[in-house]
Amino acid sequence: MDQFIVQLVNGLVLGGIYALIAVGYTMVYGIIQLINFAHGEIFMFGAYFAFVLVTAFGLPFWIALPASMALCALLGVLIDIVAYRPLRNAPRLSALITAIGISLVLQNLARLIWSASQQSFPDESKPNIFISDIDAQTGAIINAIPLPGGAILPYRDVFILLLAVVLMIGLNRLIYLTKIGKAMRACAENQTAANLMGINTNMVISVTFAIGSALGAVAGVMVGLREVIEPTMGYYKGVAAFAAAVLGGIGNVTGAMVGGIVIGIAETFGADIHSGYRLAFAYIIMILVILIRPSGLFGKSTSKRA
Amino acid sequence: MRDKLTPKNIAISLVILLVPVFMYLIDAFTLYISSNYGVFLPLPSGDYILRIVVQAGVYILLAVGLNIVCGFTGLLDLGYAGFYLIGGYTAGLLMARLGVSYWIALPLAVINGALWGLLRGIPTLRLTGDYFAIVTFGFAELLVQVVKNEIWLIGGPNGFVNNIPPVTIFGIELFQNWHHYYHILILILLTVFITYRLKESRVGRAWTAIREDEQAAESMGINLSRYKSLAFAVSAAIGALGGGFIAQFQVNISSKLFDFWESIFILCMVVLGGTGSIRGSIIGAAILASLGELLRGGNILPSEFGGARYLIFGIILVVIMRFRPGGLSLKKA
Repeated sequence: MDQFIVQLVNGLVLGGIYALIAVGYTMVYGIIQLINFAHGEIFMFGAYFAFVLVTAFGLPFWIALPASMALCALLGVLIDIVAYRPLRNAPRLSALITAIGISLVLQNLARLIWSASQQSFPDESKPNIFISDIDAQTGAIINAIPLPGGAILPYRDVFILLLAVVLMIGLNRLIYLTKIGKAMRACAENQTAANLMGINTNMVISVTFAIGSALGAVAGVMVGLREVIEPTMGYYKGVAAFAAAVLGGIGNVTGAMVGGIVIGIAETFGADIHSGYRLAFAYIIMILVILIRPSGLFGKSTSKRA
Repeated sequence: MRDKLTPKNIAISLVILLVPVFMYLIDAFTLYISSNYGVFLPLPSGDYILRIVVQAGVYILLAVGLNIVCGFTGLLDLGYAGFYLIGGYTAGLLMARLGVSYWIALPLAVINGALWGLLRGIPTLRLTGDYFAIVTFGFAELLVQVVKNEIWLIGGPNGFVNNIPPVTIFGIELFQNWHHYYHILILILLTVFITYRLKESRVGRAWTAIREDEQAAESMGINLSRYKSLAFAVSAAIGALGGGFIAQFQVNISSKLFDFWESIFILCMVVLGGTGSIRGSIIGAAILASLGELLRGGNILPSEFGGARYLIFGIILVVIMRFRPGGLSLKKA
């Protein structure tokens, strides 16, 4: 039972991270019907940007995080303008192949720049409250909440979960309450009509890419805090997050959040059963959802989504 | 491609047939010069080039196979390496573990590949576009996970199958690179012949109709399920054929040979050559396979830039899609 709670908490934290990545996939898909394969790579770049800012430039973590978000937003918009915008009216598969190409380029660029080896934020660069430990002599718990069974829940994980929830609520409010959110929904509904109503669709798409990429960058930094930073992280985590987006109903932001949590928990408990198949659970969920209910848990049921 | 016996075509055929002879002539020449004059010529080893050519031949086979699904029926398959893997492990395990002869293991591998092609194909029949692509991707990734983890079945961690015995024919062991060369050449000729005949047949026209407009094709009386399943099975069988060959060619195989980027590499060849064109697939595969080998760390680039070749493949995908979606082949898409 104790183990169950620990794993549940781990799954929730991982799920929060997946949800942050998944909204990037789902927002872009909702608006231009493109599976942005490069989104996982943007997430990976987010982690590396923050890493470089704190190690090479010596910036404090709390400045590096928003800076990395801004850089990633810029990267996302740039990718859209350079690669995807010229293909707006091309066959959908051309855009998908382009996205795969961009993903290849970014992943190997990262490998060239930062090498394939794993890196992590040095302890002195992390804010103090993120360094959790159990004092060996006194048994005092530092910067963590005790869980039953002697395990601890670091403040870092609490922060990640809270941040994910806050950002998700913020995004939800942005989409449903602001003018740009309304424009986004209009574009997702019918781009031509939105254009005719005087909405600058290209600008709206750019904003979508920027928001999705910035949230991806947050997820990247959080993964950097919890695990390691490596060029392939975007691929593995990106696929799991994409599975989350599909599970929630691709194009649906609320769905992406719920899907992220479900995939995160499934992966954590799945790893308990057989650690070698850790990643396989996300793939299996993804395939089953597409085959059985292509619109996902929250998606509108349409007869054909091509 | 209704070619005739023109002098040009005869010359090309002769060159293709005699490639190993040229390669061994290079080796003989270098050896002669260095032993008689003491000068070492900086020529690459012909045997090594021959090995790269054989490797490129496998990719030609795979590209032609992938082109059936991607090019003829217009469905994006992101998991083609899955069938390559099935063929490789079926043949490899049968030969290394059970001592089955290659001439039985290869057809079994092909049949197994075709079966899996159908098995994957039937649930995905009604899917189109992105969703089909994602399912194919997930399927191939699952296969990689299985061979990585099921050590009791495969034999080693990360899917290692070692010491696959060489092929024997009439008591002669086929392990030299020129053996492999003629071996793959025959397989390619067979595959290209079958694919070409299929393309020009009623089946091929049905595939094209499905690619252009599924609903229109169906209302013209084309049985979508049957023709799509056929495309999946044939394509998967060719992939498995390539896998069966690579198992005995590489002697040791691991899951690394069949990962997701391998699928993308093959897709890149088809896209470069122009989807839907057999000749394009062959040319695309020949170009990218040799380019990939050249750019592998240590040849031209320093070894730490070995990953850069994938960067270049990525750029090729993006640029082709942007400026020439029909690929290098002459046909405009």
